[in-house]
Amino acid sequence: MSLSLFLVQLVNGVEYGLLLFLVASGLTLVFGVLGVLNFAHGSFYMLGAYLAWWLSARTGSLLLGVLIGVPAMVLIGLVVERLAIARLYSRDHLSQVLLTYGLVLLFNELQSVLWGNDVHGVNTPAALSWTMRLGETQTWPAWRAFTSFACICIAIAMRQVVLKTRFGMRVRAGASNAEMVEALGIDVRRLFSTLFAAGTALAGLAGMLAAPLTTVYPGMGENVLILSFVVVVIGGIGSIKGAFFGALLVGLADTFGKVLLPGFASAMVYAVMAAILLWRPRGLLGAAAEGR
Amino acid sequence: MRRQVLLLAAAVALAAVAFSGDRFWLQFLGKAMIGCILAIGLDLLVGFTGMVSLAHSAFFGLAAYALALLTNRLGLVSPLVTLPLCIAFAAAAALVIGWLSLRATGVYFIMVTLAFTQMLFFLFNDSPALGGSDGLYVQARPVNSRLAAYVVIWVALIAVYLLLSRVLRAPYGRVLEGIRGNEQRMRSLGYPTRRYKLVAFVIAGATAGVAGYLDATLYGFVNPAQLGWRQSGLILVTVLLGGKGTLYGPAFGALLLAFIEHYGEQVTEHWNALIAALVIAVVLFLPRGLAGLLHGNPRG
Amino acid sequence: MAEALIETEGLTRRFGALAAVNGVSLAFEKGRVHAVIGPNGAGKSTFLNLLSGELRATSGRVLLGGEDVTRASPDRLSRLGVGRAYQTANLFPDLSCGDCVWLAAQSRLPSSMLFFRPADRYPQVGVRAARALEACGLSQRRSAIAGQLSYGEQRQLEIAMVLATEPSLLLLDEPLAGLGHDEALRIVALMREVAKGRTVILVEHDMDAVFSISDSVTVLVDGRVLVTGAPEEIRRSAAVRDAYLGGEVV
Repeated sequence: MSLSLFLVQLVNGVEYGLLLFLVASGLTLVFGVLGVLNFAHGSFYMLGAYLAWWLSARTGSLLLGVLIGVPAMVLIGLVVERLAIARLYSRDHLSQVLLTYGLVLLFNELQSVLWGNDVHGVNTPAALSWTMRLGETQTWPAWRAFTSFACICIAIAMRQVVLKTRFGMRVRAGASNAEMVEALGIDVRRLFSTLFAAGTALAGLAGMLAAPLTTVYPGMGENVLILSFVVVVIGGIGSIKGAFFGALLVGLADTFGKVLLPGFASAMVYAVMAAILLWRPRGLLGAAAEGR
Repeated sequence: MRRQVLLLAAAVALAAVAFSGDRFWLQFLGKAMIGCILAIGLDLLVGFTGMVSLAHSAFFGLAAYALALLTNRLGLVSPLVTLPLCIAFAAAAALVIGWLSLRATGVYFIMVTLAFTQMLFFLFNDSPALGGSDGLYVQARPVNSRLAAYVVIWVALIAVYLLLSRVLRAPYGRVLEGIRGNEQRMRSLGYPTRRYKLVAFVIAGATAGVAGYLDATLYGFVNPAQLGWRQSGLILVTVLLGGKGTLYGPAFGALLLAFIEHYGEQVTEHWNALIAALVIAVVLFLPRGLAGLLHGNPRG
Repeated sequence: MAEALIETEGLTRRFGALAAVNGVSLAFEKGRVHAVIGPNGAGKSTFLNLLSGELRATSGRVLLGGEDVTRASPDRLSRLGVGRAYQTANLFPDLSCGDCVWLAAQSRLPSSMLFFRPADRYPQVGVRAARALEACGLSQRRSAIAGQLSYGEQRQLEIAMVLATEPSLLLLDEPLAGLGHDEALRIVALMREVAKGRTVILVEHDMDAVFSISDSVTVLVDGRVLVTGAPEEIRRSAAVRDAYLGGEVV
């Protein structure tokens, strides 16, 4: 592989990884703090993308679409949390898997009814429709650079919130011991709602950012969801840092896999996951197994 | 007692259909019974051992593809040869995937089984040599008439149910119950629990393999969609719907779902929303499933 | 001096910077009842967890009958004859008493990978289970659901389950915690019975019980051994009294 090709794939892999991070971070937090396995998370990514398309088609501006869409996703997250997720807090895994699976089916039908089953393209905002030159032969579309930049900013912001704010402290406490947090009198309901809504918005935002790149189509959330699960498994449940590095790893594995082994590209990521699990059964950065 | 009567009645009713010779019902109930076999095998894992696996459809699909490949590429058709080979193949896959997945516990385990299922899906979906997303036709089926296939499926269903019932009453079955109740305690009582879980995973995988073989025989066609996590999810739905941990409940759950899917399709094109509503309702309001209704005070 | 059934050498377990158990070297004589006491946070439960394999030692060794079992898993230790009873109910909440004890007894079969004969056709298991239930006074409660038993009965079931595994070493973790006076007396009598012919390591706060049935007492403070000796010595020790700042009256 030539150096320039390698660099291009490296950039692609990192971009993809960063988008995956947005999605996976919400998933890992919801699971780490709320204790809920949420299969519908991929649906939020899809909803975000569809909202971005629909709003940008109506208003002519993707940026406006994002500005309206993100609060909309927050609202959707709050509603879903109150109506469905809250009932899963003390339930077993099977119930969580099946209820959220039901939500996936529901959201898919919703998407089909509201927006139909065609594939839709989304135009990048005019301001970001140019491309940058990288070296002699390669170019980098501005929108993709912007997307990656946005993801990095969000990652940094998340780190600041989690490490430096009181809210973040509650999140970290909740991730290690939710019962204790409640016993300390902290309004756990509000914490959970906020966290879930934030996770939903992040997934939705990822969908909006990705929409111009991948087009908007039914079932687009599915693959992202599964890969997010892989990221969470690799990075460890409840760990944002783990999600970050796991996402980069997955993004790179997927991208390089497609180039090196076209027939087995999709399977490659899962092979990496299997390898990591053999080495570290709790994920790279998950809580080290106590004793056994 | 109520349960025995119900089961006997169902078995007789299903057998009676064979005599009617009605094409539609043979095909429809044949498919439904395959769903029952899948549900029973998964209940062993989910209901009796407490392991939520999303890989069940993978073993179903693997056996189906194995049959297609055995007949198409190697010209092997006889059920005496192909059936054991396909089951062995599914069981072997379950052994490998189970061993890897059981390195993880709790929710990690569920997610790992999901990832492996998807991996297999892509493997088949992206390989032109294996038929790609279009799938493969089974050029020569082990059983040629629809009626014969139906009878074979009926026999298989009864056999799987009786076999698993037996296993669950044996010491091994007790261990599974213990693992479901309190795995950590089982370990401190001296049981190397991971081994027992792996065996359960393989048994379930083998029964899924039986179902896959029968499905390929009935339809003469295999495709990657049978392998995905959506399929696994639906099988889980039948387990919960029928009542997990009862073995017979999920079989009825599968029958019910088959009817709902069929008639739902005729009522509205958005019948998926119907299934969704059903799933959500069952999780929230009827967590012990149909069997729970039957018993009044069922095991939870 | 009788031989030691189990001994530890410099056993240490750290959690981050905190050493919950710090360089504990003890030898437990065969056939005796050894109590491990100490103020809260002394590391008693951690120590027991290290012995039963549920926690892995950071450093040091555990020797069972001379064999190094420091890294042995809980299930291996159980098969080597180490039986652990828990402080908080660690039963099978949906199973009946009979079934709980059955599972414990069944663990002594060479292997439970038995798929065809129904479980109740293994009489040797049934006999062992019935004996354990009888010894703990639960024969009448065989069909009661474990999760619905009274607190005291759950304690009896805990011990019955451990007994059914025919252990040579019994690790009892605060078996009297939370029990009323009469129930406690009953459990103490049970412990005395159960201790015959076995080695027992008992972690307890109830000093009357400790002094009435123990052959030797070890006092742990802040993860280290303060002193080990006969019950009378410990009772009279000023150092031990000081260690219990405002705690139990010795």
